[in-house]
Amino acid sequence: MKYAKVYAEDVQVGSEMPPLVKPPIQQIQLTRYAGASGDFNPIHQDVAFAKAAGMGDVFAHGMLSMGFVAQSVTDWLGVGSVRKIGVRFAAVVRLGDVVTCRGKVLAKRPPKDGNGPYLVDLELSAENQKGEKVITGKATAALPSRG
Amino acid sequence: MPIQINTAVKGKEYPPYPVTVERGKIKEFARAIGDLSPFYLDDEVAKAGPWGDIIAPPTFPITFRDERSDTGALLRDLGVDIGRLLHGEQEFEHFKPIRPGQTYLCRGRITDIYEKAGKSGPMAFVVRETTVTDSDNDIVALVRGTTVVRL
Repeated sequence: MKYAKVYAEDVQVGSEMPPLVKPPIQQIQLTRYAGASGDFNPIHQDVAFAKAAGMGDVFAHGMLSMGFVAQSVTDWLGVGSVRKIGVRFAAVVRLGDVVTCRGKVLAKRPPKDGNGPYLVDLELSAENQKGEKVITGKATAALPSRG
Repeated sequence: MPIQINTAVKGKEYPPYPVTVERGKIKEFARAIGDLSPFYLDDEVAKAGPWGDIIAPPTFPITFRDERSDTGALLRDLGVDIGRLLHGEQEFEHFKPIRPGQTYLCRGRITDIYEKAGKSGPMAFVVRETTVTDSDNDIVALVRGTTVVRL
């Protein structure tokens, strides 16, 4: 079940995240994300501007793709579990691109004190429909023990 | 001919600014990403959840902006046009959930500027860090971003 509570015992080193496949990027989503985030850089909205800037066409905010990657983690391990998430933007995401987010567990660290959560380190990536990496990254999620 | 940027702004601290998180803004942000978790969108479900209310998605602090320290201010400081910018890297560290109705204080500074050759020519990398604290003066989040300037 989606959004089910996940415990530290439910994931192991090497466990793979269920891939999150997002719908094709449409201009309206970039416009909505601009409004929601406050990033009104015309390079994401205005084809003439993007061309003049040498980018060929508009492209998605990197932060939108990072939002997808963060969603892939919280869909899997739970909202509120993310202690740290960091990404590198490897390639731009274009209109029509289908972004798929993937991840796996690199390490699972037991609580330093008896009652704290386990910390789960993840390797993350996002790719377009051609299999080209658009994001690489890492995250740390906190998961409770079944105890 | 590559352009020059003003690297003297390395270390610059921007004026602190308060941000009050609006409930509707959290929902608008989650919907824009297409993340429809009820813990972001549904007040009733979230009320019965672990935080007693909705919380913000992990990348939400990117919305914490102030015109004295936003990308527009950075562009003025560096002396470059917005069309030259790319987003290189981004990181969020979270220590407490970000909640609607709370007012946070954001302190931003430029922690590093360096230049190197990229695939398509010379580039400058500008690293900014913003510390987000709550009314108890606890650090809620650290936001680190690397902006790439195509020189």
